Amino acid sequence: MARVGVFICHCGSNIAGVVDCAAVASAARRMPGVVHAEENNYACSEVGQAAIRTAIKEHRLNRVVVASCSPRMHEPTFRRTVAMAGLNRYLMEMANIREHVSWVHGDDKPAATGKAIDSVRMAVAKVIRDERLTPGKVGITKRALVIGGGIAGIQAALDIANAGHEVILVEREPTIGGRMAQLDKTFPTLDCSACILTPRMVEVGQHPKIRLATTAQVEKVSGFVGNFEVTIRHRAKRVDHSVCTGCGTCWQKCPEKVPSEFDSGLGKRTCIYIPFPQAVPNKPVIDWANCRYQRYLAASGAEKKPPQCRICEKLCPAGAIRFQDEDSVVTEQVGAIVVSTGFQAFDHSAYPEYGGGRYKDVISCLQLERLLCASGPTGGEVVRPSDGKHPKTVVFVSCVGSRDDRVGRPYCSKVCCMYMAKQTILLKEHDPEVQAYVFYIDIRAGGKDFEEFVRRSQEEYGALWLRGRVAKVYEEDGKLIVRGEDSLVGRPVEVAADLVVLATGIEPSAGADALARTLGVSYNDYGFIVEAHPKLRPLESNTDGIFLAGTVSGPRDIPETVAQGSGAAAKVIGLLNQDELVTDPMVSRVDPLRCSGCLSCREVCPFDAIGSELLRDGRTAAKVNESSCKGCGLCVVTCRSGAMNLRGFTDQQLLAEVVAITR
Amino acid sequence: MSDLVTGIRAQVRDLLARRRVEYVVGYETGSDGVNARPFFAYTTEEADRLVFDNTCTHNLTKYLVEPERRGSTIGVVVKPCDARSLTVLLAEHKFPRDVVAIGVVCPGIVQRTREGGDGEAPQARCQVCDQHTPPACDILVGEATAEGPVLDQFARLAPLEAQSAAERSAFWSQQFERCLRCYACRQTCPQCYCDECFAEALDPEWVGVRIGRAENWLFHAIRCFHLAGRCIGCDECERVCPVKIPLGLLNRKLRKEVLDRFEYRAGTRSDERPPLETFRKEEKLDLA
Repeated sequence: MARVGVFICHCGSNIAGVVDCAAVASAARRMPGVVHAEENNYACSEVGQAAIRTAIKEHRLNRVVVASCSPRMHEPTFRRTVAMAGLNRYLMEMANIREHVSWVHGDDKPAATGKAIDSVRMAVAKVIRDERLTPGKVGITKRALVIGGGIAGIQAALDIANAGHEVILVEREPTIGGRMAQLDKTFPTLDCSACILTPRMVEVGQHPKIRLATTAQVEKVSGFVGNFEVTIRHRAKRVDHSVCTGCGTCWQKCPEKVPSEFDSGLGKRTCIYIPFPQAVPNKPVIDWANCRYQRYLAASGAEKKPPQCRICEKLCPAGAIRFQDEDSVVTEQVGAIVVSTGFQAFDHSAYPEYGGGRYKDVISCLQLERLLCASGPTGGEVVRPSDGKHPKTVVFVSCVGSRDDRVGRPYCSKVCCMYMAKQTILLKEHDPEVQAYVFYIDIRAGGKDFEEFVRRSQEEYGALWLRGRVAKVYEEDGKLIVRGEDSLVGRPVEVAADLVVLATGIEPSAGADALARTLGVSYNDYGFIVEAHPKLRPLESNTDGIFLAGTVSGPRDIPETVAQGSGAAAKVIGLLNQDELVTDPMVSRVDPLRCSGCLSCREVCPFDAIGSELLRDGRTAAKVNESSCKGCGLCVVTCRSGAMNLRGFTDQQLLAEVVAITR
Repeated sequence: MSDLVTGIRAQVRDLLARRRVEYVVGYETGSDGVNARPFFAYTTEEADRLVFDNTCTHNLTKYLVEPERRGSTIGVVVKPCDARSLTVLLAEHKFPRDVVAIGVVCPGIVQRTREGGDGEAPQARCQVCDQHTPPACDILVGEATAEGPVLDQFARLAPLEAQSAAERSAFWSQQFERCLRCYACRQTCPQCYCDECFAEALDPEWVGVRIGRAENWLFHAIRCFHLAGRCIGCDECERVCPVKIPLGLLNRKLRKEVLDRFEYRAGTRSDERPPLETFRKEEKLDLA
C-alpha cells in the first residue's frame, strides 16, 4: 500500500510568490495514496531535508514527492535524502513547480496554483507506480584516450600521464603540436610560440605513460564510460619508425616537392617529410599520394612509365623505408576520452570581394604568421608572395568568417582582434617602415593585459585602426586597393596596400562533425561540440566519460585552451582513480512475451546496447545490455509491440501521469 | 491451363519432392469454382491443385508470420506486391531466410465482392501498379516483363487532400463510426504480427475496449502509424473490411509521406533500412 508524502517547497519567494503553496498542500492531502503533505521554505536546505526525513519516519511514508524545482540540479539531492531515511532512492519523484510554473506563469497566480496542483497530481500518480531500482557496478579501464595532439591534447595527456594513468594520444597529422606550432609569437606577452610549445611536445614524446599515435584516426567508439572500445586506424607511414633514426637524409634528397601544409602553402616540402624541424615524432612519413614511386606503380601497364625514383629507399642508412606498408586498424580499451581536435582557419575564398585566392598578395593571418616566423619558409623575412619585395603598407581585414551570417559564421572567433594587434606589432619590429591599417567592426580585447596590448599596437607601433567593413579589394598598378569605410568619421576610405591580410576566423577542424557522430556527442550548427552544461559542465560532453578541451567546443585563446586541457585531465583522473562505477538502473528492459522480434530497437539504438536472443519457444526477442544502455528511450518509442520499457519511466508510469492530468 | 499455373505446379512439385520445403502456401480454386483461395500444398499430388489467375488477391506472406509456422521451411507463392511484404518481413527478422519465394509475374487482380457483379475491373492497387515482376524472389514463374512508366500511386488521395483538415476529420469520423473493431484489417495484414496487439493490451490499456468513436479513431490512427514506412500497399485491409472503411486511403497517405520525405518505398529494396529506423543528416525535418 502506497503511503505518499508530498513536500511543497517555497524556494523563498521563487515559488511561493506566485503559487499558493498552502492550497497545493491541501489539494495534495486529498489525492489518492497521499497520507501527508507539508510546505517547506527551502526543501533543499539541510533543515528542509531533515523535515523530509522526519516525516518519512513519522508518517511511515514509502513514497515521496518533492514539488520544487527542475530535477536537473536537485534530483540527486532528494534521492540521497530519501535514501538516508531508508527508502529506495528511486521511490522519489519531483514535480517541477518552479521552472514549469511559478517562473513562467507569474501573471496569473490562480492558474499557476492550478497547474502546480496538476503537476503534483501527476507526480503522485507516477510515484505510486515507481519500482525499487538497484544500481549495478562495473569496473573501469584505467587508460585514457586523447584525440588531437594540439596544445589542448598535449596538456591533457601530460597531466593524465603525470597522475600515473596510461594515455593514448591520437593525432591525425604526422606530428603533434597542432596550430600553436604554426604561430610565431603569442599575444599579449609576445613569447615565442615554438619555444614554449616544443618542450611540451618533447615531454609527450618521451613520457613512459604516453603512447603516441600519429597519422592515426579514431574510426569507431563503442561501450560506455569506464569501458570504451575504440577502433583506431593507423594510416600507413611507409617508414618503419622503430628502425628510422631521423637522420634526415631522405627528406633532404627527395626530389618531389609539394606545398607545405605547415607553412600554409607558402613554402614547399618534400614527399618524405617531417612537417617542421621540431616535429614529434622526429621521424618522417611518406606522402604516398604524391610519391613518385606510387605514381610509377599506379602507371603499371601504361606504355610510358614515370621513373621509379625510390631515392629515399636507396639512401636510407637504416633501411627504414617500407613502400608496401598498409593501414592497420587496432582496437584499444580505454576508460575515458578527451576530445581536443581543435580548429582550422576559415577558408577565405568564400569572400570573392576580398580577392582571396585570386591575388597572391592577399594572404591569411596564418600565412603571415609563417612569414613572420624565423623558421618559416622565408626565414622570417616578411615578403610579398608575388614578387618577394618587402611590403610597406599592410592592410588587415577583420572578421573574415566571423560575425557574418552570409557565410554561416555568425559567431565571434574571439582571438582575431588580438592576433591582428600582435601582427601589427611584429610587422613594425621586422621593418620600422611598415604602416599597418586594421579595418575592424569592434575591438574585442577582453582579457588580462589585452586592452593594453591593443593600445600598444595603436600608440607605440602606430597602427591605424579604422572602424568599418571593407567592401572590396582589387589590383591596380601592382598595388592592392582596399576600399572600405571609416564609420567613425562616416566616409569612405581607400588604401593602396602592398599586402592584405585577412583575419580568418576559427571553425572546427574538418571532420569534427563526423567524429562527434562517431563518439555519439552532440555538436552545434557550426560543428563545435556542445558542452553538457555551458557554465557548470564546460569540459564534459553530453556522453559520460567523453571530455572536451580547447577549440573543439568553441573559439578560445591559448591560455584558455591549456586551462581546459588541464581541466579535462582533472576530470579524467577523477574518473580513473575510482575502482568501479555505479551504473544507472534507469535503463531499458524488454518484455520477451510482448517482443515481436523485429529488432527495430537494435537498429535505432545509438549505443549498440541491444542484441537478440533465441527464446525457448523458438522466437527471437531483443535483449538489452544494461551496462551499455544510457536510458535514452529511443527503443521504447520505436517498439510497436510495447515490449520495451524504460525503468523509472515505464508506459504504466507515464500513462498514470497522463490519466491523472486528463481525468 | 495457363503457363503460369503449369510453371507454379512444376516448381512446387520439385520443391516438395526434393524436400526443400515442408509445404507451399499457394492458391487453389475456391468452392464457388471461380475465385481463388489460399491453399497449403504438402505433397506433390496436392501441388497439382495449385492455380494462379486474376482472382488470387490474398497476400499469402501473412501465413508465414503465424506463431505455429516458426521453425518450418516454407514455400510461398508471391505476387510482386506480396514480394515487397516478404522483403519488409525479412528486414524485420521475422524468419531466417529459409522461406522459398515463388514469384509470379502478375497480370493484375480483379475486383470482386461477395455480392459479385463487379465485372472484371482491376483492383485500385493494380490500376496504379508499376511493378509486374516480383523483385528478389528465389524462383520466378512467368516471363519477366519490362516495367512500364512509374504511375501516380497517389491519385486516389487527391480529393481528400484537397479538403480542409476539418473536412477530412469529419470524413474519417464518419468512416470510423462504422468500425466494428472486428480487427479483420489487422488479421489480414502481413505487417501486423505482434503477439499482443496494442489494441488489446490491458496493462497499460492504450485503447479502451469500448467501440466508440474516440477508441476507433485511436485504433486506426495508431495502426496506420505502425505501418508507416512498412505498408507495401496490398490494400487487403480495405478489401476485407466488412463495413467498407477505405483504409487503403489512410495507408496510402502515409506511404506518400514516406516517399516524399525519405524517397523510400517499403519492400522495393532489401539493402535499404526502413526510414524510421535510420537517420541521415540531410533528411527533411520540417515537421510543421
